[in-house]
Amino acid sequence: MRRVWAVIRREFVERLRSRWFWISAVLGPLFFGAMIFLPLLFTGPGGIKRIVVIDGTTTRFGARVADSLDRGSTFAVVARVSPRAGLMDSLAQQVGLHRLEGFLFVKDATVETGAAEYRAANVSAFRDVAELQGVLGRLAVNERLERAGVDPATVSRAQLRIRLETKKIAGAKTTGESSAESFSLAYVMAIVSFVAIAVYGVNVMSSVLEEKTTRIVEVLVSSLPAFQLMLGKVLGVGAVSIFQFMVWGLGGRLLLSQRAAIAGRLAPLDREPAVFQMPHVSAATIAIFLSYFLGGFFLYSAMFAAVGAMSSNEQEARQAQQPVMFLLMLAYLSVFALAGDPASTYSIALSLIPFTAPIAMPVRWAAGSVARSEVTASLALLVGGIAVVTWVAARIYRVGILMTGKRPSLKELGRWIRA
Amino acid sequence: MAPPVIVLDRVAKRFAGHTAVDALSLEVSAGLIYGLLGPNGAGKTTTIRMIMGIMEPDEGAVRLFGDETDIGAGARNHSARIGYLPEERGLYRKMRVLDVLVFLAEMKGVERRAARVKATEWLERLGLSDWRLRRIDELSKGMQQKVQFISTILHQPELVVLDEPFAGLDPVNTQVLKDTVLELRRRGVTILFSTHIMEQAEKLCDELCIIARGRRLVEGAVSDIKRTHSGHHLTIGFDGSPGRATQIFADKALVKKVDDYGQYAELELAAGADAQQILRELIGSGARLSRFELMEPSLNKIFIDLVGPEAARAEARPGA
Repeated sequence: MRRVWAVIRREFVERLRSRWFWISAVLGPLFFGAMIFLPLLFTGPGGIKRIVVIDGTTTRFGARVADSLDRGSTFAVVARVSPRAGLMDSLAQQVGLHRLEGFLFVKDATVETGAAEYRAANVSAFRDVAELQGVLGRLAVNERLERAGVDPATVSRAQLRIRLETKKIAGAKTTGESSAESFSLAYVMAIVSFVAIAVYGVNVMSSVLEEKTTRIVEVLVSSLPAFQLMLGKVLGVGAVSIFQFMVWGLGGRLLLSQRAAIAGRLAPLDREPAVFQMPHVSAATIAIFLSYFLGGFFLYSAMFAAVGAMSSNEQEARQAQQPVMFLLMLAYLSVFALAGDPASTYSIALSLIPFTAPIAMPVRWAAGSVARSEVTASLALLVGGIAVVTWVAARIYRVGILMTGKRPSLKELGRWIRA
Repeated sequence: MAPPVIVLDRVAKRFAGHTAVDALSLEVSAGLIYGLLGPNGAGKTTTIRMIMGIMEPDEGAVRLFGDETDIGAGARNHSARIGYLPEERGLYRKMRVLDVLVFLAEMKGVERRAARVKATEWLERLGLSDWRLRRIDELSKGMQQKVQFISTILHQPELVVLDEPFAGLDPVNTQVLKDTVLELRRRGVTILFSTHIMEQAEKLCDELCIIARGRRLVEGAVSDIKRTHSGHHLTIGFDGSPGRATQIFADKALVKKVDDYGQYAELELAAGADAQQILRELIGSGARLSRFELMEPSLNKIFIDLVGPEAARAEARPGA
């Protein structure tokens, strides 16, 4: 046991000494912080878009549209002009020269049929388009109501903005989490889990590979059984990952405590800052996240250890790790499906299969409510999966670390496992 | 008498399709330097790995330190008493010298603090103390080899197993290793080493075992092996005139084989021939001699005779 402890300590201390650990310790929160705050930058002011309104209406509708858009925070209407031949072309040139973002063409028909035209450098900017549609729709309805003889004051009184408040129900208790919060939490957990399992799994792999290529492994396995050596490695690297989370956790806390200040600086003064809603993270959620992360780490690092043992150099290992990576990516790529419908058969299946559960279950947990029996079943399967995978991996490891030369075929691997 | 330190009892190891070690038996007595000799692919490394408990034999038993119950991976129970230097060597490249030594000593059950003290002592002794906080990959290859010797013997083992220890060493480190091995023996440590370089084996070993294709060809004390394989070899040096040496050497009743270099000749005597008769005939023919010496065959010669010319060619390759 003292030897396993020495292996754990070596893995831990040497990793903490490496520059990379501290670089990622600093860059980690920055990276996640960027993921949280960067959308603010883009959805925030993002520069006011200069547009021209081509007014082809015979009523005051065109003027109202231009006025209303100009008052909004998205657009600045630099001119309202009447349509004439060649106008569109010359405006398009202005757009090409980046002097204008685009132009909006409204006609009388807009009020009747709802048809209008917007040409711009960027028509996939959802916020711009939503703003245009909102303004045009509201004014067109007003116009039509007025034509039908409704008093404008009544119209404005009748207008109502719906603010749909969503709250998640977890275990029959309504929580403070909104749907956006739940989703972002699920997404952040999936991304952190995926990245951490992949990074630390590969760490285990390269550590195995280093000992194999330098033949230190021969000295080591003459002192302790191969399984204990593998266990020591996995535990040592696992401890580093937990330590990394602690560093990130503290860093993240610090950053979040300042988030109002940061958001305030980024958002324009006259608008409520679109602060990323840091979801309320309950202790149960943290427990679920950490247990599934650790479970996933043990499961995958055993596989990565076997991959390292069966390869003779970095290049071979990179190829051999691909199937393991794909397996890990399966759940990660399903994160939208999982968060979108946490109760679907697909989601439930992914959260029960040991290879996908480490990412799938925390996502389901964050996005919806999961019955305790399901969590228990999933954890039991995960533990069983870890036992089986570790057993197989240890057998491959035991033989592989002493083998050099070509990579084993599947048939040979089978023989190693049975041996 | 103390029980043998290592006993292999009809040990066999097979890998897919071929037998690496075949019913091999040998005994290594305490306090000796024992050589495991054989051409490449003879099964030396596999034998050593079975002794070290890295591999389990398919058949037969490995017993260490007189422990009757010990077979196979049981060697790990004794790992604190054994120092091991594998054939191809390497260390953790990014670790500091001192940390590597302490870690490897811990693997052998040495307590951390004691390991640190011992490692520092050894580094000083081999002139590496200025490097103890440097990373392994900053060291020259020769220095790395020294660090590796230290790691092998730091925990004061009773048995040291060295797999091809001289391969790839520079002359300085070859000397360091030889001195270390001899000093260990003076302290009563048993040393088993494998090699395919006969000159070193001949100079260092008390006893040896020659294996080829996994089988034992000969085992015993070096002097006994030489005696039993002695083919009455004669070395003659001429001082000027060789007389009628050519005719005398051609006499099949006296000489079985000859390597005649003009001023120097190596002879293998025919069965029953008397070296003194050759001496008389040479003098009688007017030859002037500077040297007339009855030789023991070199280990290299015995080895080649036993293993066969095919293996001998294979031996010529490694740049030893």
